[in-house]
Amino acid sequence: MTKNEFLDKLESELKKNGIEDAADILGEYEEHFAFKLADGFTEEEIASKLGKPAELAAQFENEKPGEKRGGRKFTTVIGLIITDFFALICFVLLWAWEVIMAAATVGFGALAACLICGLNYRSLIPPMPYWCGAIFGLSFIALTILAAVGCIYFAAYLRQLMRSFARFNHNAMASASGRPVLPPVPTYPQLPAKMRRTLRQFALVSLAAFAVCFVLGMIVSMLSAHALGFWHAWGWFGYTGLN
Amino acid sequence: MNTQYKKGVLELCVLALLKKRDCYGYEISEYLSNHIDIADGTVYPILRKLKSDGVLATYLQEESGGPPRKYYSLTELGKKTYQNDRAEYLDFAKSIRDLLEDDNDD
Repeated sequence: MTKNEFLDKLESELKKNGIEDAADILGEYEEHFAFKLADGFTEEEIASKLGKPAELAAQFENEKPGEKRGGRKFTTVIGLIITDFFALICFVLLWAWEVIMAAATVGFGALAACLICGLNYRSLIPPMPYWCGAIFGLSFIALTILAAVGCIYFAAYLRQLMRSFARFNHNAMASASGRPVLPPVPTYPQLPAKMRRTLRQFALVSLAAFAVCFVLGMIVSMLSAHALGFWHAWGWFGYTGLN
Repeated sequence: MNTQYKKGVLELCVLALLKKRDCYGYEISEYLSNHIDIADGTVYPILRKLKSDGVLATYLQEESGGPPRKYYSLTELGKKTYQNDRAEYLDFAKSIRDLLEDDNDD
């Protein structure tokens, strides 16, 4: 086999096996021929010492087979579709929880406003003396702030989680198809340090204010109803436990 | 000697050579075929595999009176891999040797 025959055969075998950059590989063998020819070997001798082109091409196939890579991409796509399906359900549920938290926040705020302003639309709020209600109202203002902070943080967390998951998807596809992989995105929200501090302070202060005002409201209610179970004294559940 | 058996050790031999100095493909091929009985062409698939594993890196260097040559060098990972694999292989070879010599005595 001459040099050209050897290289042509090797090239067609490499192409058949779907090897990328066959030119690079052929370059190495061409260089090998050049060195050996300079040492005085004939092309036939060199080619026979190199080995059979088909066998050599098969050894390259072991490293990066075109078919296997295609198969890997296929399994990655299937795997991602299944993962994404369940992840989508999780994200919908998590966002639903965010909506519930937002609704609770609005509810707490409305309750606080009604209690403080002495409004009682359709007697939805159980009867109690105004000052007891006002103290409970203050505690619900604090709870509103606490819930709002929770909403903001949870929304930021979910958003970051989705970004991180999108990056995971991208990287899985990239590594399956041989494209460069990007650095992973952290799952925790990357809020600016100042905002993080502010949120934490709001949360702590409102939690403390809620606890203090709520306990204070209970005590004032008990005193004004002259009963530990003031809710019974005021007939909140349709009967008075005092009777 | 069994070719499959030899091929496993060839990677280690390539690393051992490149530990000493950077070489171009033909040098490695010559070095190995002088020491071990293999087809000359077998070295190139091994070099390519080691490179795609990140154990080897390549760079081009101008040669006087010729086209630039592709040199192979060990990466940091390659150096670590060589240390590990070398110790592992020597350990393994010693065990086999002990076992076979023990067999000889009977």
